[in-house]
Amino acid sequence: MIFDIFLLQQVINGLSIGFVYALMAIGFTLIFGVLNVVNFAHGEVYTIGAFIGLMVITALAPPLVAVVPLVLAAGALSGVGLERLAFRPFRRFTDEASQKSRAMREATLLSSLAVSIIAREIMMHLFGGDMQGVPSDYLLQRPVAIGPIMVATGSLVIFATSAVMLGALQFLLYRTQTGLGIRAVSNNQLGARYVGIDTDRTIVTTFAVGSMLGATAGILVGLYDGAISPHMGFAPGVKAFVAMVMGGLSSIPGAVACALLLGVSESIATEFLSSGWKDLITYSLLVITLVFFPQGIFGHGRERA
Amino acid sequence: MTDANTILSIDGLTRRFGGLLAVSDVTATIKQGELVGLIGPNGAGKTTLFNLITGFTPPSSGTVRFAGRDVTGLKPWQIARMGMGRTFQNLRVFPNMTVFDNVSVGAVGSFGQSPWRALFNGGAQSRAVSARSWEALERVGLADVAGEIAANLSYGKRKYLEIARALATAPRLLILDEPAAGLNDTETAELADFIRRLHAEGVTVLLVEHDMGLVMNSCSRVIVLASGRKIADGTPEQVQRDPAVLEAYLGVEDDAA
Amino acid sequence: MDVNVPDARILPSSTALPASATAWRGRQIFWTVVLLAVVFGAVPAAITATGSSYLAQIAITAMIFVILSASLNHITGTAGLLSIGHAAFYGIGAYAAALLSTKLGLPFIVTLPAAGLIAAFVGFLVAMPTMRLVSIYFAVATLGIGEMIYVILLNWVDLTRGPMGIRGIPPIELFGWQANTLLSRYMAVAVIAVVCVWVLHRLTHSYYGNALRALREDDQCADSMGIDVVRLKVEAFVVSTFFAGVAGALLSHTSAYIAPDNFRFMESILILAMVVVGGMGSLPGAVVGALFMIVLPEALRDIGDYRMIAVGATMFLSILLLPKGMLAEGASLAFVRRAFARGWTTMSGGTPVGWK
Repeated sequence: MIFDIFLLQQVINGLSIGFVYALMAIGFTLIFGVLNVVNFAHGEVYTIGAFIGLMVITALAPPLVAVVPLVLAAGALSGVGLERLAFRPFRRFTDEASQKSRAMREATLLSSLAVSIIAREIMMHLFGGDMQGVPSDYLLQRPVAIGPIMVATGSLVIFATSAVMLGALQFLLYRTQTGLGIRAVSNNQLGARYVGIDTDRTIVTTFAVGSMLGATAGILVGLYDGAISPHMGFAPGVKAFVAMVMGGLSSIPGAVACALLLGVSESIATEFLSSGWKDLITYSLLVITLVFFPQGIFGHGRERA
Repeated sequence: MTDANTILSIDGLTRRFGGLLAVSDVTATIKQGELVGLIGPNGAGKTTLFNLITGFTPPSSGTVRFAGRDVTGLKPWQIARMGMGRTFQNLRVFPNMTVFDNVSVGAVGSFGQSPWRALFNGGAQSRAVSARSWEALERVGLADVAGEIAANLSYGKRKYLEIARALATAPRLLILDEPAAGLNDTETAELADFIRRLHAEGVTVLLVEHDMGLVMNSCSRVIVLASGRKIADGTPEQVQRDPAVLEAYLGVEDDAA
Repeated sequence: MDVNVPDARILPSSTALPASATAWRGRQIFWTVVLLAVVFGAVPAAITATGSSYLAQIAITAMIFVILSASLNHITGTAGLLSIGHAAFYGIGAYAAALLSTKLGLPFIVTLPAAGLIAAFVGFLVAMPTMRLVSIYFAVATLGIGEMIYVILLNWVDLTRGPMGIRGIPPIELFGWQANTLLSRYMAVAVIAVVCVWVLHRLTHSYYGNALRALREDDQCADSMGIDVVRLKVEAFVVSTFFAGVAGALLSHTSAYIAPDNFRFMESILILAMVVVGGMGSLPGAVVGALFMIVLPEALRDIGDYRMIAVGATMFLSILLLPKGMLAEGASLAFVRRAFARGWTTMSGGTPVGWK
């Protein structure tokens, strides 16, 4: 019985980690949808979100609820900047051939990688390479008893925030003109252009939305773990990326499901393995998935990309 | 039924996609030295039949025999190496390679390739590959642009580049997939001349075409496919008079109207 | 299948162009001499003259990364399979050499090829299930496998001593001769690097190389030209990982100490950046890119900690301004054909095409 409760607790922890991965994976998926390229700087957006949040907290000490909108704004800004810097210069050619060309895809893959290196190094200089502590008032580590199980406030905040953001995203994508634009461009960029959608603006919006989700994930984890560092974005970035690929690259529900799966299996794995080995679980799941589902679990025979 | 002269024989070839019968019980042979056309209205199953013959799609039932061997279920490269050369409907040259290097891939494919030979003992084979690639380029008249990057060639020249690449495999059967697509009337006529010349030089050709004119003017025998079935097989004159063929083509036009 | 001898009319005849053929041979000798003179003459002379151990250290690192960059170019540039886990195979080679020499006392002459073969064997195991994957899926698989290997190096403490790394790896020695000085260490590494690049040069600058490039351009189409696509991809990956393993062994035996952090994801990215900056698919480019990316941060030592920013900025600017790299593939193939007489002369003379 004790063990069961413990397991349940681990599942809850895993779900909260999974939702963090999911928030990031959605950003990857949205951006892959509209541009058909991978944004390697997404992990840095997460880190920026955490640092902006921390700066706001240390400077102004606002209530927690006020931190989130500021982080959202910072995320949106960094997304727009990222698109300007690492993606737009490579969209000079808009015909179908170069949109599908491997060269262009690889160029933006590498340019986003280069921008991520630069961003991370700049943060290293501004904040130093060490972990930054979070003021204890803002730490989300207080345990709350729900029936027989103890849940950290951080988990609850992550669940609540993720639910709100997923709902808002759903609303945005399916109930607004902007969302229609994003879906149209994802489906067929040239076609969208022909029916009069401003594809450039849609792409920028997508980056802004995806980066808002990523930045929020960053500050949530920062407050939950109580430590923020310029390198913190790498691991969750890779795992969210893995979730996107396992989900089939272009499926948001697929990415969320796989992100939750990764989070829970990592959390449960720590019961059986020392924590150093837990990352092996993620990568093994990735490789096994790719071997048996070369297009991801939720991928639908997308054209050979 | 298969004599020594038969290069390709397909027997009862059938392919289902889910509930759809794309190709149904097609039987046909091609003899060495023939120039055969395969025609049919859109959606007749030409592309599927093509993919079944070249090994890209496995058949649901039936067999393909090529050059005296059962090749059903073999991989495309294995069939290609036995001497089946092909071109693609929508141009697929290797865009970032030179014209000569494009063609050489066909020759390398048919000779077989190994890293050891590249390292230690490539001389004789390299000379043979070079010579055969050059010969193929001269045959299609692209020798003077051998050093150009393929993507820079005009559309029409890229068509001939594809044919040269297929010729460099020293094909015992050359299958051309809708070579006239995207060409104007003059260019189509030139292409027809070129195909007849290849045939006169002894190349066995299967011409899969949508364009009736090209096939009727060039081929000695025509196979007609409609709704996945073979509905006619004979000289152009016979086929043109065949009521089943007329109905298939007119029927489609009715549908389209 | 026998090699058909085509009729004489189209065979290249060396007598047709005596002048040009001699000119070619002259150029080949010239360029070979220049390259060897720089690697074995100028650089050692500079190290001796300045007596700078720092310079020697950079030269050794540069040579190791030349092997890494050239080998990654083989799979990613030439065969077109984007690998972002190359450093893991570098790590396998380094650990194989380190463990074989410290635990079993095997000599360098054994550990060097063994490191390559072990890395190549792991590469083979990785390649078998992943070669069906296309494009980004393959890249992600290599990323995942690279991270798995890193996690194993870090956590299998009984074998690898985990984050503490392995110390006291013996220096390069050959039949009693030991590379004790930095200069001799450089010379040994340079000889091996030259051999590695020469092998990759023979493989890529040949019709076999054309077949690899065809995989990158359109693998289905290559398939119907009689190219065994899967086998060729596996071969290319195995060759590439073999040389990464060799580079790892060189690192072990020249630095005496290795730790898992030498083989992290960022290292894979650095190697990829070398290939990209130099020019995807261009072997001379991969070499130049490696030298550039190693020497640049050192040249920028004065700006201290900002040098990683400079590396990122260089990578970014090079992708933006020189999308085909410093030495683009097409131009570098033409250069190799002419300067190293690897091209095939056509009847009409003109520019060389094909391969000898």
